Amino acid sequence: MTRRATTSRRSFLKTGLAASAAVAAPGRLTAQSAPGATKTIRAVMHGDLTVLDPIWTTANMSAYHGAMLYDTLFGIDANLDTKPQMVSKWGASDDKKTWTFELRDGLKFSDGSAVTSDDVIASLRRWAARDGAGQHMMQRVADIAKKDDKTFQFVLKEPYGYLVDALGKTSTPLCYIMRKKEAETNPMEKITAYVGSGPFLFNEAETRQGVRYVYDRNPNYLPRSEPASGLAGGKVAKVDRVIFENMADSQTALAALQAGEIDFYETPPIDLIGQLEGDSNLTLEVLNKTGNIGWLRMNFLHPPFNNVDARRAMLYLLDQEDFMKATFGNPKFYKKCPSNFGCGVPMENDANTGWFKEAPSQAKAKEYLQKSGYKGEPIVLMQATNIDFMRNAADLVAGALRSIGANVQVASSDWGGVVNRRAVKAPPEQGGWNLFITWADGNAVSNPIALAGHAATGEKAWFGWPSDGKNEELRDKWAVAGSLQEKQQIARELQENAWNFVPHVWLGQWVAPTARRKNLTGMLAVPGVVPFWNAQKA
Amino acid sequence: MGAFIIRRLLSTLLVMGLVGVFIFLLLHLSPGDPAAIIAGDNATPAQIEAIRTSLGLNDPLHVQFGRWAMRVLSGDLGISIFSNVPVATLIAQRVWPTLSLAFTTIVLAVTLALAAGVLAAWKAGSLADRLVMILSVVGFSVPVFVVGYLLIYVFAISLRWLPVQGYSPLAEGFWPWASHLILPSTALGLAYVALIARITRTAMLDVLAEDYMRTARAKGVATGPMLFKHALKSAGVPIVTVVGIGIALLIGGVVITETVFNLPGIGRLVVDAISKRDYPIIQGVILLFSGVYVIINLLVDLSYTLLDPRIRY
Repeated sequence: MTRRATTSRRSFLKTGLAASAAVAAPGRLTAQSAPGATKTIRAVMHGDLTVLDPIWTTANMSAYHGAMLYDTLFGIDANLDTKPQMVSKWGASDDKKTWTFELRDGLKFSDGSAVTSDDVIASLRRWAARDGAGQHMMQRVADIAKKDDKTFQFVLKEPYGYLVDALGKTSTPLCYIMRKKEAETNPMEKITAYVGSGPFLFNEAETRQGVRYVYDRNPNYLPRSEPASGLAGGKVAKVDRVIFENMADSQTALAALQAGEIDFYETPPIDLIGQLEGDSNLTLEVLNKTGNIGWLRMNFLHPPFNNVDARRAMLYLLDQEDFMKATFGNPKFYKKCPSNFGCGVPMENDANTGWFKEAPSQAKAKEYLQKSGYKGEPIVLMQATNIDFMRNAADLVAGALRSIGANVQVASSDWGGVVNRRAVKAPPEQGGWNLFITWADGNAVSNPIALAGHAATGEKAWFGWPSDGKNEELRDKWAVAGSLQEKQQIARELQENAWNFVPHVWLGQWVAPTARRKNLTGMLAVPGVVPFWNAQKA
Repeated sequence: MGAFIIRRLLSTLLVMGLVGVFIFLLLHLSPGDPAAIIAGDNATPAQIEAIRTSLGLNDPLHVQFGRWAMRVLSGDLGISIFSNVPVATLIAQRVWPTLSLAFTTIVLAVTLALAAGVLAAWKAGSLADRLVMILSVVGFSVPVFVVGYLLIYVFAISLRWLPVQGYSPLAEGFWPWASHLILPSTALGLAYVALIARITRTAMLDVLAEDYMRTARAKGVATGPMLFKHALKSAGVPIVTVVGIGIALLIGGVVITETVFNLPGIGRLVVDAISKRDYPIIQGVILLFSGVYVIINLLVDLSYTLLDPRIRY
């Protein structure tokens, strides 16, 4: 007699329970006690934190991560003025060629070790190897020398007025100070340990790459005594834990915010702002007042945009209002801005902006395009279809160009495809391109050195490879300038020159409100990063 | 039977090998540059080039493939080029939410679909039958993300009965675990309920029309045992086939469902990796999926022998 295999209700339940236990087991291993809800902020930021080394990449999420666990020598305050942060005293020699900096007393890394000049110097060298402003600075630096454990000196080949501002800038990568051990990592390789002297420490055990990133209050952090302001002042962590939740879907993040499952959402979709405004549990606030600036990049290497008249045609052709309205709709979130350094920033000016008063002018644009010698060759416009602003803006640029008789070929792909192709210097018909659209952080745009796109160094420049000797002379002059007035005057000259050789066309400036639960207060407004010190939950 | 299983397992290796070559070529020949994405938008071409070199992305394709293939053959799926975390670790971290979702979805779908399909066949032509068929059409037609958002709006935002998103391990309590899976399983399971219910109805109608079922009824066998013990078992082969296909199709379904409900599973892992062009993760996960797919098919084939003694391998 053979026994037949049958499935009984009892055996089914047993199997089910066994499967449930198997599914549960890993969770039991990872479950740990966590701070209470009022001591934990759950935030959904604009993207995933893919790289944990904030020096190795210019990605904003990595800068946010860096601001949590690392401190900076200087930081900008809410008025965009550079203030000391890790530094207590500093000063320059009479000839402005030797700068001496002293660290605050009692600075410690989260592992308890003291922050010393050795850590700072190694960090400065690694940052300068990766950062455009750092490289610009290092061309003028003869040496960075240790005086003692708390004091270090910059010895310059020539006066460099931008030095302190470069150390406190918020355009990526920021000049974060790491332990010497990590800072001595080859700048071309990523660090693998994340220990800083900032207000939070990185909880790697609770972090799940691609899911959530956990930061706990750093008990060793020594805040300044001044009130918090931007990235300056006392960075007092008022909650025990901050969690960056990675949510790919904006609708889900919005629902989670409304349901109280998260406390903060950095970039709610603009078209749903009305819905959020009607929710009495939520507050909307613009934290990055300088916002972003839409950017049309033209390829200087190939016709027709290797000719200045074709580039001028674009200045006259495009109306920033169209670009802003198409994606952002509500005028309270955007403005037109003719300044090469953005609006609402110290370098904003109106030099050589006559074109702005005339634009859009199809007649003028057509005239300039014809003058450039354009003969109807295809203009390849790269369009990232997965990003609203880029998709809409490319449609508008294509339409405007066609309206003046240009032969436009739209090359559509996702943003990854654009990023890949924009590096190709070959002619458009051989896989290159003529135009692409992106945007830049308003605060970075306001700085002629910090934004890589302001350089016009030909084939060494940012994509589009603009070339203009006068632009480079003026950028150097701006970096050396000592006073704000002097910098503003040079910025005018830079802009006067820029709108003559037209390195790019701006497509309008916008801000994006953040959304948060009403019981979350104390969020600080600053460009470049979203600080979570000073924030607290009721 | 033993030889059949060994043969099929060997074919799994072959399939995985071919999938590996295909996915490698597909990824590396399609547009997208992980170095540019890592570097960030403000990076200069020189910085991007330096990263590309450091990641070995400038090496000839055959060198890159050889390097990856050797690692895979030694049991190492590689390391994420963004996070530096081993792909096997990332998969291990993400596998439980996906398994939980797949498990609850299949249990929910099979339970509801069998009941609905048997009911529709038993009451063929009745209002209940039509209702089941209408719901099946709806289940097929409405995309999972639409169902997902509707469920979130009604049950999570308006009624506040269930959480919007996330995952809670079973170890932290049955209800937190189940409450995070009810909405995603329902959204994902709806299409499978529709599919399995229709197949069950059709298979059951054929079996119920057989002479031996009429004989069973004439001999006074109660409706319950007749339907579920005799008829359903005889109709089992096509149903199990569809359930097997359904489990395989779940691989695609979980990608969307995990995104809508923010479940930190393998689907999200691979979607995020694709958007970043994190080649080792994409290659590792697809390789794993292909193996799972082949093994599910093998299990389905083997289950036929339990349902129909005439089938032997």
